[in-house]
Amino acid sequence: MMDLTNKQWVKHAVTHPMEGFEDMRWKKAGSMKYSIVIILLWFVASIFYNRLYGFQFYAEADKMFNIIPYIVQTIILFCTWVVGNWSICTLLEGEGTMKNIFIYSAYALIPYVASIYIEVFLSHFLIRDEAVFIDAVHIIGLLWSGVLLFSAIKSVHQYTFMKTIGAILLTICAMLIMLFLLVLLLSLFQQVYVFAYSIYTEIAYRLKV
Amino acid sequence: MHKKFRKMTVCMLAGLLACSSLLGMSAHAEEHYDVYNYDRWEEAIPSQAGYLAARSVSGQDLGISDFSEPSDIFRDAYDQFFIADSKNNRIVVTNSDLTEVVMIMEEFKCPDGSVTTLKQPEGIYVAPETDLVYIADYNNSRVLVCDYDCNVQMEITKPKSELFSQELTFMPQRVIADKAGNVYIVLGNITTGAAMFNNEGEFQGYYGANTVEATSAVIANYFWKLISTDEMRSRTSRTVPSGITSFDLDDEGFIYTCTQSTSQKKDTVKKLNPAGTNLFSSLETSWGDVEAVYDSNTNKNYQSMICDIEISDDGNINCLDLTSGRVFQYDEEGNLLFIFGSSSEQLGGFTEVTAIESIGNNILVLDTRKNTVTVFEETDFGRIVHEATVLYNGGYYEEALEPWYQVLQYDGNYRRAFLGISAALLVDGDYAGSMKYAKLADSPYRYNRAFEGYRSEWLTAHIRGVVAVLILLVIAGFALKWYLNKHYKPNLEYDITRTDERKREEEG
Repeated sequence: MMDLTNKQWVKHAVTHPMEGFEDMRWKKAGSMKYSIVIILLWFVASIFYNRLYGFQFYAEADKMFNIIPYIVQTIILFCTWVVGNWSICTLLEGEGTMKNIFIYSAYALIPYVASIYIEVFLSHFLIRDEAVFIDAVHIIGLLWSGVLLFSAIKSVHQYTFMKTIGAILLTICAMLIMLFLLVLLLSLFQQVYVFAYSIYTEIAYRLKV
Repeated sequence: MHKKFRKMTVCMLAGLLACSSLLGMSAHAEEHYDVYNYDRWEEAIPSQAGYLAARSVSGQDLGISDFSEPSDIFRDAYDQFFIADSKNNRIVVTNSDLTEVVMIMEEFKCPDGSVTTLKQPEGIYVAPETDLVYIADYNNSRVLVCDYDCNVQMEITKPKSELFSQELTFMPQRVIADKAGNVYIVLGNITTGAAMFNNEGEFQGYYGANTVEATSAVIANYFWKLISTDEMRSRTSRTVPSGITSFDLDDEGFIYTCTQSTSQKKDTVKKLNPAGTNLFSSLETSWGDVEAVYDSNTNKNYQSMICDIEISDDGNINCLDLTSGRVFQYDEEGNLLFIFGSSSEQLGGFTEVTAIESIGNNILVLDTRKNTVTVFEETDFGRIVHEATVLYNGGYYEEALEPWYQVLQYDGNYRRAFLGISAALLVDGDYAGSMKYAKLADSPYRYNRAFEGYRSEWLTAHIRGVVAVLILLVIAGFALKWYLNKHYKPNLEYDITRTDERKREEEG
């Protein structure tokens, strides 16, 4: 029983916030391929959201397009979440593997990603006075995904309600620390690069003169 | 042979000369600086010149001795110019073309018969209603009020009132008088606004004070003062607002003030109503240059400092920037129209500007180091922009459409032209066109209004099609469901609620 295809598991997990992920864990279901597709769809959605939104809703149009922030805000953010959660929950006797955390969290994001596409679609037919419909879609998508994500973390590690809350808060702290270290590392490398470059110019100058 | 060659050369040279002169005639006069304007993202972009420097007038051009550090210029109701020639202790009155001197005011007859002279007059104002001349007589610590024949009507000196601290000096720099005869005086050492006197010369109080901006330094200072002792407090610097530098009146009686300050960034230009409230406080205009320019030679940040302000007859606001020698012209709603002038020695460049005045379409700038008045004349481009702006601000969107199209032919980057065309087309009912221009102007607000009209128009035109498509979609949905039900059995395993049933069936 419960021998569902991958597609059916997606539907089951999304539409059963309470026991969907428990069932998935029980049957060791969930596809990495699907999860990666979801994250890529999220990345594309974030670009759509900023570039293909109905023009009447733009607060201020950008002059330049830079893809790096979009990658950071979706893919990197998600990877940080997975790594952060894994590092915290291995210490807190969580049962989830990194792969499972990745899959469950990605499945939990489906309503949010879908809501972005719906918003972009609606924004081409509505005017500013009717923005409340778009807001409604946004809030529903966000809440739904929030509940799913909570349930996903709770199931994948077999935690209690309170322990899940604690784990999520600690994960956010871990993410911040990781981002801080990342920025530190980048600036360090930049300084090394500048140092090497100045040595190079110095030598090149000496050789020339 | 040799002669022939020479003839040919002469012919060619003559031809070249003729060509070049023709070219010179067709080309526009070029300014020696790059004319620029600010785009939607507040970045400087090249633009067309709205004003060109036509000539500069010195004292000798007028047939009198040179000016010496002139500090103010004012146009009266008869289009005569009053120039406060500070170091020469005189007021020079010229005709409207600045070609000849009408009179020179040096000696003034007091009511008691005595004669008084000026000592470094810094500011000048002529009331159009009463034809009284107000002179800010800086080193005599007074404001002299006289008529055109130099008969002193009134003298405003340091008030004896308790409101005016007696330790302070009274050094008037700028003066204006409103329709009711109230006199406003800018004093260099007063930061609480302009001193206000009634038409009898009695001190009334202060008007139009600036406020201290809550910068991080100010907040930190406030915090330290809370915990420091009185002795420590006496040694720290006090936080006071910048005093206003100059002002002007418009036709409706509003007073515009400007503040020349390196620390103050907000409210450097204010439009005050009679209660002293700033009507420009909600504007997002950054008066003067948007960003301070860093100069590595002097290791300084050059930030705009508005040292004089002038409201022209059609309501445009001209601000004079001391730092860069540029004039920034705004329309009555604070939208930047033109930037012109520079800091240089050529015509149209300045060393140290002090005052600005306008007559019709011309703008005059007074330079206190060069001792000249420079006359800027409006270009064709400037004329069209002004025409369009006045119509647009008056609400005549459709009438402004044609001038805006012409503006775009001169300068395709002029954003307000796109906004104006979008508004005009919206009034006209051309929603698609309005949407196009709103997009070009990068204005979502205008696009929203045009789109609303476009959508309702489209829905009215295509209502049958929309309903038909909707009905078809519903029918297709039902048909698909029926088809799937018939040909594909539902996956029972998927339905958890019925797994037990299935299990029993399998067992049975």
